[in-house]
Order: sequence, then structure tokens, then C-alpha cells
Amino acid sequence: MSSAASSADAGRGAVYDRGYRPYDGPRGRRGAATLALYKASMRRALGLRRPWRQKVAPFVLLGVVTIPAIVNVGIGYVTRDRFDGFQIITYREYVGVSSALLLFVALVAPDVMCPDRRHRVLPLMFARPLLGVDYVVAKVGSITTILFAFSFLPQVVLFVGNMLVSNSALDYVGDHLDVLWKVPLAVAVLSLYYATIGCALSSLTDRRIVAGASVIGLFLLTSISSSVIVGDSSVEGGGYGGLINVLAMPLHLRDVIFLGHIDPDSPLSGVAGGGLLALACYLVVLCTGAMVLWWRYRWVER
Amino acid sequence: MSNGPLLRLNGLTKRYPGVTALDDITLELPAGRIGLVGANGAGKSTLFRILLGLSHPTEGHVEVCGIDVARDPIGVRSRLGYMPEHDCLALDQTAADVVATFGELSGLPARAARQRASDILDLVGLDEARFRPIGGFSTGMRQRTKLAQALVGDPVLVLLDEPTAGLDPIGREEMLLLVDRLGSFGISVLMATHLLDDVQQVCDHVVMIDAGRLVVSGATDSLLERTGLVTIDVGRHTDELVAGLAQVGVVAVVVDGMVEATVEATVGDDTRMDLLRDVVAGLGLPLFRLSTRLTSLDEAFVRRSEELT
Repeated sequence: MSSAASSADAGRGAVYDRGYRPYDGPRGRRGAATLALYKASMRRALGLRRPWRQKVAPFVLLGVVTIPAIVNVGIGYVTRDRFDGFQIITYREYVGVSSALLLFVALVAPDVMCPDRRHRVLPLMFARPLLGVDYVVAKVGSITTILFAFSFLPQVVLFVGNMLVSNSALDYVGDHLDVLWKVPLAVAVLSLYYATIGCALSSLTDRRIVAGASVIGLFLLTSISSSVIVGDSSVEGGGYGGLINVLAMPLHLRDVIFLGHIDPDSPLSGVAGGGLLALACYLVVLCTGAMVLWWRYRWVER
Repeated sequence: MSNGPLLRLNGLTKRYPGVTALDDITLELPAGRIGLVGANGAGKSTLFRILLGLSHPTEGHVEVCGIDVARDPIGVRSRLGYMPEHDCLALDQTAADVVATFGELSGLPARAARQRASDILDLVGLDEARFRPIGGFSTGMRQRTKLAQALVGDPVLVLLDEPTAGLDPIGREEMLLLVDRLGSFGISVLMATHLLDDVQQVCDHVVMIDAGRLVVSGATDSLLERTGLVTIDVGRHTDELVAGLAQVGVVAVVVDGMVEATVEATVGDDTRMDLLRDVVAGLGLPLFRLSTRLTSLDEAFVRRSEELT
């Protein structure tokens, strides 16, 4: 080819049809598909690869749940040599301390669950090597993971802060080794519970607003009802009313994990076997949520 | 992949309360581009759901690529791509993200899925638009995105449910061209549609079902040829020809002033064509036209359906 022709061709450019290349690399099955859905749901919940508006809720939540820990530690550090009056919030109190977590569940669980049904994406997903149970595990798992991370991070801030405030960081760690399993366990109990409830309620509708309102409504309604029953001195055995408080159920277990018994200030403190009853109610709610999810996605394998 | 048929349906029956969606369908289909034709409610979508293992047959069994769907639905789904008729895409995500996610859901590693998503979107003509949210796509672009997500997992067989639905004539032609090209990539296609023209244009095998029953299954060309109709134009001497053909055992009727003879032989059988010519010559009639009549798939479908009933 002459150089003149070459330069003319270069000037014109060319469009190439790259055709189709078969894939002959590694290929996973159910586990890989479940992990992929888990990661996709995490990205969606955190607003990653989505417009900036979708990123606001998760990162505002992260700030809301973490800032009190930072402030506590900051005050504790600044005042550590001046007076002994300031007590940094305890790990137990910080588990489930913020209602922002509930708001987050009410926002994110519907956002992760409802569009799949509303946009009719489910048939596409289940045309992959994915079963209904895998779908539920991926969705609940993703929200549980985020809730766990957002609840656990402030605890890490508290722990590190307490180490700094104490006279000897190593002594502090040695004296608080139990925290290293109690905090993750209590946070996991709380995260799994709220995530399951959020997903179960969201699976019942394809409208996010309805699902979000249902989550908040369930928590509010049961906690208000419980307060009324417990606060009414004329009701015999009113302490049992604490068992219908869906919102506070994991907090009872948190107390059992940290204290070994129900908190004396809890409405269940006067109830015989209150800890076991709280555990039973917790499991009932969790199993009910799992059953709802199984029922909603069982058609996939029918 | 096994060397046997791509799809094997054996006595496939699916009954819902009060409705038989599929009624004792037995057939084997080779690899290639297969048209699944039937009116709305004929059972096409039910068949797709059974092939995907999302619905279990009441009776009979199904094999895809030699794998029993009832025993290993996950293994079957690993080899299939599926493009539903309805909208099924998250509108707030980009085409690249959606297709890559479905690639990962098909079992591909994340990096490979993103690479293939880019390649496939380029293949279906969405390379420029792949980073735009799907909510801003036209119907044609959404159909292409749906096709891309079906292809991203490198399926052996892709199930297309009404791929040209809602497309304008140009979009339809482009979609059919894409479907046509899939065969050359080694991907088999099972395309459900009620548009027989689409099937005639791109499919080399046709399966017709009506009210859940198998009407006919065969190569597209053979269905067109097997109509057995020959049109003979002898001017105004039609009645004489009909009588003459009857004497040699050929059933003939007059249609639009011309004799349309039904012969049992296939069109390519010169012996039968010679017989018709000889009858005309023997009667001393003028012969203006003697031609095989290739019916459309529409006619084949209607005729076979009538035969069944």
C-alpha cells in the first residue's frame, strides 16, 4: 500500500465489528450468584454507582451513629485530668442507641427489595443459577452487613477512645477483653433482627413508601402499645407487655449478653424468666420474618 | 454440552386449575434458531418457565442440552439466557451496571462480567449509551439492553420472548438482524412470538403450539414446502381441469378463477408436477401458469390447527 493511500485510510478511519467472543473462563454457580447479588445489594444500599442523592442517607446515618461516640471520647479525653465526673457512654448503652438505625432500615430495606418486584427484575434474576433462598440470604445479608458495620464502627471509636483516655491502654484492653466478643455478638443480634424485619415487610409490597411506612409503623405501634400496657399499674403482670415491643426485643438480648440478665430498668425485669422469654420472642419474630420471605419467594422453585 | 438434541420434551403437560397450558408435547429440537409460534395464551411463556426450571411440569419431562431440568435446574440455568417480553430493568441504573451485574449473577467473575458487559453492549449497538441510566432509553434501546443481559453469561441457548414487541419497523429489523447473527456466534435461539413473519425471516426451525397443543414442528423450509399446493392457470377452462384432475386422483378446487390443485407430493417432486402438466396437455387446455404455491407460515399454522381440531 502506498503511503498516500495509507494516509487517506487513516484520515477516513474505520469501524470494526468486534463480533462475539465466547467466554471460556471460570464460572461459579449458586454461591457465586448469591455473592454477586449480595454485593449488588450492598452497592445499592450504600448508593454506590448511583446518583449522589442516593448516597446521602447511608452516609448521613454513618455520621449520626458515629458522631456521638467521637464527641463522648473527645470530652472524655479533654476532661480526663480535670475532674472525674464525666463517664463515657458504655458499650452496652451504645448498641442500638440511635433511632437513626431504624430510619435507615425503613429507607434502605424497601430500596433494596421493592424495585426488584416493581420493575419485574425477579424473573431475570431467577433465570440465573439462583434460588429463592439465595435471593433472601443475599438481600438480608447485605442489609445486615451494613447495619452491623454502621453499629460496630462507633464501638471501635469508643474502644480506641477509652484506651486513649485510660492511664494505660494495654491495661484497658486486658480489663475489657470480654467486650471483644460481647459487642460484635450484640451488634449482630440487633442487625440481623432489624434487617430481617425490614426485608420481610418490604417483600410484601412493590412500593417503597408503603414498605418504609410499614417498618416505622410496626416499630412505633408496638413500642407505644407496650409502653401503655407496662405503664398502666392497674394491669396485673403488665411487665409482660414489654414482650410485644418489637423495637426493643434485641435490646433485651443485648442486656443479657452484657449483663447476664435483663436490665433492672427494663419492663421485663420483674418478669420471671424474662431473658428467656425475650430470646423466645426474638426468635419468633426472626422466624416469622424468615417465613414471610420464604413465602414471598417460594414461587421461584414451584 | 451433549451431542444430542438441544431440547427434548417428552409428554410435557402443564395443568393449572381449570386450564391445560401445555398438553402432552413431545418433540426434539436441534441447535439453531428456533421459532416458537403461537397466539397469546398458547403456552409459550409457560414453556419458557418450565425450561428455566421456574415451573414444574404436571407430567412428562424436559431436557435442555442433555440436562434434566427437574433434576438440575441450576445447571440448566447456567446454560441459558432469558429475555422476557415485559420491562424488567432497573431504570435508575446504567446499562453497563445492569448487564455487568447480570453477568456476575450468571457466575462470571466481576472483572470478566464488566468486560463482557462492555463487549456485549457494543455488539447490540449500545456502546455509546452504556453509561446512561436506562430510564432515558427508548423502547428499542431497552430491548437491546434486555438482549445484552441475556447474552452476557455466554449462554448455549437464549430464550427470547417477543423480542420485537413494541419496536418500530426499523428497530424490528435491527433486532431481527441481531437475532439472526446469534446463530453465527454458536448461540442457539428459542424465539417466542406470534409474528410469523419474524420467524420466517430468522428461524431455521419452527414449533407451532396452539392452546397448549403441538401443532407442528419442523424446519422452516420444509413447512413452507409441505403445503402441497400447485396453482394452475388454464384461463376459463377451470371446470374441465378439475374434472380431469379428479380422474387421476388429484383433488383440485377453483380459487380466484384459477385451479388450485392439492397434490400429496412435495413441490420438488417433478414426477407429480409432470402428471399435472400431462393432464392439462391431455385435455388440450391452454396452460398459462403452473407454479408451486409456497404458503406463508400463517397459512401453515392455520391449516395445521384446523387439522388438529
